[in-house]
Amino acid sequence: MAQTMAEKLFSGHNLAGKPVRAGDIIEAQIDGAMVHYHASEPMHDLALQAGFNEGLPRVWDPERIFVLVDHHQPTLSQKQADDNALIRREVERLGIRSFHDSEPGISHQMMADYGLMRPGELVVGNDSHTISYGALNAGGTGITRADMFYVLLFGELWFQVPQSIKVVLNGHQPNYPIAKDIVLYLAGRYGDDFAGNMSMEYDGSLVPQLSIDSRMCLAAHGVEVGAKLAMFVFDETTREFLRGRTDKRYEPIAADPDAEYEKEIVLDIEDMPFVVARPHQFGNVAPVDELAGQRIQQAIIGSCANGRFEDIEIAARVLKGRKVAKGVRFLISPASQQVYLQCVKAGLVETLLEAGAQVVTPGCGVCQPKVGFLSDGEVCITATTRNFKGRKGSLKADIYLAGPLTVAAAAVAGEIVNPKEVFDGI
Amino acid sequence: MAFDLNRRIRGRVWKFGDSIETDAINPYYRYPTMDELKQHTMEAYRPEFPKEVRPGDILVAGRNFGCGSSRPGLVLREVGVAAIVAESVARLFLRNSIARAIPIFMAPGITGVVHDGETLEVDYPAGVVRNPVSGASIELRRFPPLIERIFAAGGLPEFARERYLREQALAS
Repeated sequence: MAQTMAEKLFSGHNLAGKPVRAGDIIEAQIDGAMVHYHASEPMHDLALQAGFNEGLPRVWDPERIFVLVDHHQPTLSQKQADDNALIRREVERLGIRSFHDSEPGISHQMMADYGLMRPGELVVGNDSHTISYGALNAGGTGITRADMFYVLLFGELWFQVPQSIKVVLNGHQPNYPIAKDIVLYLAGRYGDDFAGNMSMEYDGSLVPQLSIDSRMCLAAHGVEVGAKLAMFVFDETTREFLRGRTDKRYEPIAADPDAEYEKEIVLDIEDMPFVVARPHQFGNVAPVDELAGQRIQQAIIGSCANGRFEDIEIAARVLKGRKVAKGVRFLISPASQQVYLQCVKAGLVETLLEAGAQVVTPGCGVCQPKVGFLSDGEVCITATTRNFKGRKGSLKADIYLAGPLTVAAAAVAGEIVNPKEVFDGI
Repeated sequence: MAFDLNRRIRGRVWKFGDSIETDAINPYYRYPTMDELKQHTMEAYRPEFPKEVRPGDILVAGRNFGCGSSRPGLVLREVGVAAIVAESVARLFLRNSIARAIPIFMAPGITGVVHDGETLEVDYPAGVVRNPVSGASIELRRFPPLIERIFAAGGLPEFARERYLREQALAS
């Protein structure tokens, strides 16, 4: 029976030991569990609620649990500090060793930086963007805090084996990142749930040319179009990225050539314009030229979708010898300390600061109402994950989503603009 | 809190559109306590909702309900919502609702059979959702047996504890 990547993944992790097909409900063995800043809920609160009066009585395997207190570093309130202290106590009590509460950064990027998930593994996290691990051929998928409680106890979880959608990307990689434009374009064309509950499996002539940074952006955004998994093949680029990050063995997964897909979509990126998602939904997409002239007060590059080296590097290229427009707050947040260091070593930070951008602490804050709030009537263009109403504070503010090149160009122009009009390096 | 799927539910409908996100349902970034959340849930789409929702009301939504971050909709239960019925539900919101035993039902076509403010009946045992005034009814999707057992246990943490105690008893 020919299988998709999702069917391979869940067949290999099915506790019943049998091959599975799309639609089957199974209980699966988990390889890794990423618990982020809400750790106190699965590790403590839900244990009490379920009737474990002393807290979680055990964890299934302390070596396979990774606790990264990402959203709340550095802490922004007394409550966060108290919450983090509780998490620290529980981590020590339960013997979990992979604990990161003294290093700001986004959990998903740190899982990649430190080689904590590997190709072919089934890795869950109580954050929707756990799906980004598919960039490294790992079966990453978001679960809930209550699901995580179950995983911490047993190392198992129920799943419905997803149907798969093949996403074929063809064309040549230009000299700037285009992953964000691709996923926004697809959401605009097919709707913001076109991959609802499905496994997106990427293929096509563009894929081997895509950097890990771009694959992580595409995979992270799988959840914005409803997906359960967003899988890339394992290739030389993956192998090179993992070299030196993990010394554990891993077995990549690949779809069988005649696997059955629920649907297949094809995009030739040469036909694709620069695009922007208007407020307040991910799929509310238009070519950038239709929105040109829209004034902005804030611009952001960051998050688990676009806080990586190539996103910041293109911003630095745009800003070199230029200035951020007067009255525009341009926030740039590297996805992790490792990414930040990479940017510093490459000299990008100097360029960004000279141009008037603000480099803020790595983490999730710029993608939430935590760092850089908007007031009523303000407009922000951002290369982060979501443009929902209130995502940056006021319900009366407007958030536009775009790729890092389009955001940097807007920061210079003070308004949404086709990046070709600002930047001649493309 | 256990929820009996076999209990029929009848209530007044609050109708919402497509792709209602968890930032609107559970805006805890801005309102971290349950008391605050109750005063602000769903206001991004219908500012009157937190003030006017009554215990027993039913929330009807379009496709992709609960998209966005992985956040439970416990606040909807706290303000009295007796059931959520949607064209389709985003997977993490569905997982969250199952894991916390919040009554949620998928009934493709639901937005076509009921208007805002009308009464709706959810009859899970019969597998239908009915508009008693117009007489229109539509099929709802049954859950697989494993999911029904999680509902019966009162949610996944409770289900987990039952399993843990059973295994401990067998081991001793």
